[in-house]
Amino acid sequence: MAFASIHVPNFPVQAVVRAEPGLRSQAVALVDGTPPILNVVAANEAATQVGIELGMAKSQAAQFHAVEIRNRSRVQEKSAHAALLDLGASISPRMEDTAPDTIILDISGLTSLFGSDENIAGQLKQRASILGLFVHVAVSSNLKVALHAARGFSGISLIPPGEEAKCLGKLSVRALLPSVEILETLERWGIRDCAALAALPVLQLSERLGQKGVRLHELARGAFVRSMVLAQPGVRFEEEMALDFAIAELEPLSFLLGRLLDQLCARLEARALAACAIRTHFDLEDSFEKDFQVLSENFPPKLAPKTYEKVLSLPVPTRNSKMLLKLLRLQLQADPPHAAILKIILSAEPARPRATQGGLFLPGSPDTEKLELTLGRLAKLVGHANVGSPELIDTHRPGDFRMVRFAPENGESKIPQKNRAATVHAPEETPLTAFRVFRPEIQAKVELQQNYPTRIYFQGMRGNIVAASGPWRTSGDWWREDTWQQDEWDVGIRFDSVRGHSERISSPRAQNGIYRIYYDSIRAAWFARGRYD
Amino acid sequence: MYTELHARSAFSFLEGASLPEELAAVCAEYGMTSMALLDRDGVYGAPRFYLAADKINIRAHIGAEVTSAAGWRYPLLVESREGYQNLCRLITKMKLRAPKGKGDVSGAEVAEYSRGLVCLTGGEEGPLAHALAQGGIESGKECVQQLCELFGKQNVYVELQRHFLREEEARNHAAIEIAEKLGLPLLATNGVRHAVPQRREVLDVFTCIRHHCTLATAGRLLARNSELHLKTPAEMAKLFSDLPEALANTEILSSRLQFTLKDLGYRFPKYPVPDGKPEIHFLRQRAHDGMVWRYGLNNERAQAQIGRELDLIEKLDLAGYFLIVWDIVRFCREQNILVQGRGSAANSAVCYALGITAVDPVRMDLLFERFLSEERGEWPDIDLDLPSGDQRERAIQYVYERYGKLGAAMTANVITYRGRSAAREIGKALSFNPETLSRLTSLVSAWEYKDANDTLARQFRDAGFDMQHPQIRKFFELCLQFQDLPRHLGQHSGGLVVCQDQLDSIVPLEPATMPGRVVVQWDKDDCADMKIVKVDLLGLGMMAVLEDCLQIIQKDYGEEVDLGKLPANDPVVYDTLQKADTIGMFQVESHAQMACLPRLRPECFYDIVVQVAIIRPGPIVGKMVNPFLKRRQGREAVDYLHPSLKPILERTLGVPLFQEQLLRMAMVAAGFSGGEAEELRRALGFKRSEKRMKEIEKKLRSGMDRKEISSEAQEKIILAITSFALYGFPESHAASFALIAYASAFLKCRYLAAFTAAILNNQPMGFYQPDTLVRDAQRHGLKVKPIDVTCSDWLCRLEKNGQDFCVRLGMRFVKGLRGDVALQIVSERAIRPFSSINDLKFRVPMIQKAELATLAEIGALNFIGTPKVHRRDALWQIERAARRPGPLLEKAEENEVGMENGATELGATPIFSTLASPLAAMTGEERLVADFRGAGMTVGLHPMGHHRTEMKRRNVRSAIELLNLPNGMRVRIAGGVITRQRPGTAKGFVFISLEDETGISNAIVTPQLFEKNHVVIVHQQFLLIEGQLQNQDGVISVKAETIEPLRITKAETTSHDFH
Repeated sequence: MAFASIHVPNFPVQAVVRAEPGLRSQAVALVDGTPPILNVVAANEAATQVGIELGMAKSQAAQFHAVEIRNRSRVQEKSAHAALLDLGASISPRMEDTAPDTIILDISGLTSLFGSDENIAGQLKQRASILGLFVHVAVSSNLKVALHAARGFSGISLIPPGEEAKCLGKLSVRALLPSVEILETLERWGIRDCAALAALPVLQLSERLGQKGVRLHELARGAFVRSMVLAQPGVRFEEEMALDFAIAELEPLSFLLGRLLDQLCARLEARALAACAIRTHFDLEDSFEKDFQVLSENFPPKLAPKTYEKVLSLPVPTRNSKMLLKLLRLQLQADPPHAAILKIILSAEPARPRATQGGLFLPGSPDTEKLELTLGRLAKLVGHANVGSPELIDTHRPGDFRMVRFAPENGESKIPQKNRAATVHAPEETPLTAFRVFRPEIQAKVELQQNYPTRIYFQGMRGNIVAASGPWRTSGDWWREDTWQQDEWDVGIRFDSVRGHSERISSPRAQNGIYRIYYDSIRAAWFARGRYD
Repeated sequence: MYTELHARSAFSFLEGASLPEELAAVCAEYGMTSMALLDRDGVYGAPRFYLAADKINIRAHIGAEVTSAAGWRYPLLVESREGYQNLCRLITKMKLRAPKGKGDVSGAEVAEYSRGLVCLTGGEEGPLAHALAQGGIESGKECVQQLCELFGKQNVYVELQRHFLREEEARNHAAIEIAEKLGLPLLATNGVRHAVPQRREVLDVFTCIRHHCTLATAGRLLARNSELHLKTPAEMAKLFSDLPEALANTEILSSRLQFTLKDLGYRFPKYPVPDGKPEIHFLRQRAHDGMVWRYGLNNERAQAQIGRELDLIEKLDLAGYFLIVWDIVRFCREQNILVQGRGSAANSAVCYALGITAVDPVRMDLLFERFLSEERGEWPDIDLDLPSGDQRERAIQYVYERYGKLGAAMTANVITYRGRSAAREIGKALSFNPETLSRLTSLVSAWEYKDANDTLARQFRDAGFDMQHPQIRKFFELCLQFQDLPRHLGQHSGGLVVCQDQLDSIVPLEPATMPGRVVVQWDKDDCADMKIVKVDLLGLGMMAVLEDCLQIIQKDYGEEVDLGKLPANDPVVYDTLQKADTIGMFQVESHAQMACLPRLRPECFYDIVVQVAIIRPGPIVGKMVNPFLKRRQGREAVDYLHPSLKPILERTLGVPLFQEQLLRMAMVAAGFSGGEAEELRRALGFKRSEKRMKEIEKKLRSGMDRKEISSEAQEKIILAITSFALYGFPESHAASFALIAYASAFLKCRYLAAFTAAILNNQPMGFYQPDTLVRDAQRHGLKVKPIDVTCSDWLCRLEKNGQDFCVRLGMRFVKGLRGDVALQIVSERAIRPFSSINDLKFRVPMIQKAELATLAEIGALNFIGTPKVHRRDALWQIERAARRPGPLLEKAEENEVGMENGATELGATPIFSTLASPLAAMTGEERLVADFRGAGMTVGLHPMGHHRTEMKRRNVRSAIELLNLPNGMRVRIAGGVITRQRPGTAKGFVFISLEDETGISNAIVTPQLFEKNHVVIVHQQFLLIEGQLQNQDGVISVKAETIEPLRITKAETTSHDFH
């Protein structure tokens, strides 16, 4: 029995370089952490040669101008790992998914297909390079020996049976992956390679390091035997595409999206699953004049983030790639990314496909998929912000609301719990009369006497203000450009005339009542906000 | 007319947005004659409010909003002194039983302390609003009736506020109805939270900080409008035109509130004089005894000075204060705690005679008015330096015991928003993303070091931020508004206040974060302003070193050294100082001091006083250092800013260096009295005195005009005086420090072993790492022995080495080794020596494997048993010793250890083999790495010493070689970095000290070179620097031109960085 171990050295860097082949010949350092604390977590040899050290802060690394700095990408690492598994599967069905950067293949009996062990190793190396990976390959009749040799030696290593200990002699003990505690002990002892470790008396070693020490000793001698753990296929459905040139047009983008969706749907079908949501992630071209950014909640139009993310939630799971593409196109047309696209990541949220049947005596309802398409078209026409059901916003700004996706729930208030206390005592919470809001507000002309409104003209009507209570003053959002400052009045109006062209209003008296009007200090104008019923 | 009787300041910590001074100023601007400040659960801002108001003839009413158990707050106004005392006690009671920043009071407690207080029904957070929301008008009426029961009907006012809010007006209707039914007066207030409308923005940001949210997500937590500002009487009259009585009542209530902070009723505790005689009598006796001790019987000048001071002390009734400080000093002496007064107290001959200070003010001709003046009408300030740590804590606890828990407390330290903290909080509230926020805050951190022309706006532009951008501009404006607003209350490092009666009736007390400590709600300046006596008990690391050093000398050398009787002019000390060979010496060991010492060349004690004072930001920024040094070296003629200043500046060659000199200059040149001069000093040093400073400057100029001093000389004098605002030492303070500096220098020169052991035992302190201190001692011929469990104690100690002493490093330097483990090792070792590592592990069972490993790694286990083993042998052995054998073999192991110790139990056979280790001994480099990793130092050769041949090949000069090389020569130096400095006063220059086996060499790096090599300079532990040698007046440094990392060892050496 023979095992081939395939190891991708410096895996995080290779994963990034695989997605950006232009970096292959350059010094590359990867940073990771929680901003603003970002440290170098990996670097290729060219980068370490110019002075990059692991653990260095990003700002320090940035001072080495010859070094390209990228963020560590778990997604690209997963893609690279998937590619590694593909590489293994292309040679042998018996495969162990040992680590993100390492797999082991059982290559027994493959001689008739691929030739000698050496040939197999060579093929693995060659196929890996087509997938954008540079790998170390080691072949041994001992699985662990193959694994350690691939981790410790570059290129192809063929270890003949019986020479395991000799071959592993110069291998660093780190390649045996001892626990941190044992590694510290070995370092203190000055034991750095397998030969030194193998030379220690095993009885005394067991007195000191216990069974773990004995196992390490066996590993160092190439005498440890274990069986293979066969890999299970993954359940993540994600496709990613980095573009050489940024795409700004929908048509070429649709072509690529269609291709990715086809792949996703095919993978889902193979697993008898469907997508209940498609997550779109675009990396966008830098479209900023300045590198100053703020969170999008404050200044969405001017200072948008450098990525675009959307989730297309589906009412029923589907794997109809054509329909998914239509929905994605509608979504993009209604809310297009503000800059050209550099990278596309599409991921599908898997779910069981719909397996229900419409009831014979149930009232007819539109086909769910068609309804979703219609809603999508509506959103494209009027904008996402104008489709759905209204929801009050936690603000003092009078009458402010936003539209959210329609989802009938138990009717609980969506005001954040923490802010409710502030309003619990307000009499406004339990209004005695209903208030009908004019949307949009109606501009009015108001005459004042001693700062009190006395006469009003709006919507073609004019009348005397017979009672007024106010002003009720609100102002806020002073840190934004759309700050507001309003003085509201509750006024009783007795209308005396209606302009002739107003067809809706027949009698002025019918319009008499209590209204809420306000003066907008920013716009320097009066408006009617609504009427108390 | 109208009086605002319900206002909060920023001392309501995140619930008010204006400083008390601003409130008072706006109040005056609006023509109001009185105002009340009611901060949340305290009177934190009361002194500042009172003082600011008093200056502009506004009556400052005091009160507080006290939190009830239900969460709402009683707005309480103080009517009388009794009321004030009750308020303080009520708040103290509430604070002392709750965690810091929390607490509430019950109705019963309010009833107990209600006399002398007037209660309002409050605004949105008051009791009435709460009751109305809970149960409508009936519940509201019940609530007000309860308040009447608690405070008496005549002391309850139904409060009305109008901020143009519907629900508030609904509340007002209910309140008016209740007031009518119960026959209570109405009172209009505006529930002020900021002085002017614009400050609403600050209040909103504070709200976000308090609720941990951003402005975008805070929603209705933010203010509904900007109406919570102080309003003019006319505006209030318009608002309450329908309720004129509510306005009129503000005046009536204001006239009822008779109490102000002037009437605080503070009394310093009486000193219990033994025979019941007056305190001054007892003090005179003590001072006389001290005078005889210090000066002998025939020193007329001292006699006259002490007499004059005692007369003033008697006149100001301060005898008790001096006796109490004397009592603390006496306690310290009795307990063998080293103590020395510093600061202005050193200007007093009485303090000198009483043993409080150690500087002779008569001989040094120090200005007594700097310490005590009749005109100032304030308590003198005595600061005592004590050894840091337990000794200082003992002294503090003595004061607590003597005056009771409620009779003494620490002063507070009000932490205010500064550049970086303000920027961070504001940026978070404005939802800046982390990257932007970090760029902005890093930008802000540099503000303090920039000169006036380097405006914030320019810095923003330089950093790539657009000031036209609305959010950046808003950020910038808010940063400016946030400056100096209080953030929270901390504890001052050593300020203690004491009181005759209960201190909690003078100012509320709070628990400090440190257990067993209480802190008053006022900071030290407020306490001084309120004429509350403060004694500073400050911890000084060097005092602890001196104390330990004296004990070691007594124990090992058998000699008694009295710091008060050190030889005054020891030539060895001055020779050492002149050579700047001052590592470890107090105040004169920094790079800047070392660069100055060979030029100043101290020859007498006064030169040390000057040396201590001259390297301060004050003299440096005031451009006084170079003129002084040139004059001292005879390279520049001595002249005076004005002939009349000659007597004052003669001692410092015409250059003002001390605060006293500037006071005297003001007195002579501008005709200031002693008190006025002291006021000048406070204005200069006071952070909140911009305006005050300008007033005094005006006064100075007019005084100098009167004396017909030319405008050119005036400018120079003003520059000299104002530069001290940035920090300058008073001469007395410098003299006190110089005494300690001299003592440390003397002990280091004469008792190097004892001094080295003492300073190592008090690490971390000072300017250098222990490794550098050890190496410096070695270069001076001291043998330092490594840590060894067979003879090392926890602390470093002396061992006889032939005729000399050497230092045995203590186990305190073993990283990760716990103190109690080390003590157990020492006590077990005293019973009988350890026979093996097994024996050590067996007899000190609490020792952990990691501790054993570190001890083995640094060679501390090499000498256990015989024969001597090497470090890896020990590491091999500890791995087995540290593993528990399990119950089956436990007995066997006990037997084995017993046999090692000579027991001959029948049948006891060793189970485990004790073969020598199969491991190779450590190489030199491995030992070096292990030493630094396990102990942070090595007593072996410096890492550079191992590479000297190679360094010679690369033409690198050792530190000692530089002494004999000519100025201007191009040289290469290399070594381990021991300090990196980028002082604020050095215009971006960086100073690096490199150490090799021969000594220390210094390099100067220009800002441009620093920028270019930032990473290498900041992160590399060994550097190779090439540049031009500067060898002037014995000050040697290399002006760096190229800097590169030197990779000679993996040892993790450490440096002391200030950048």
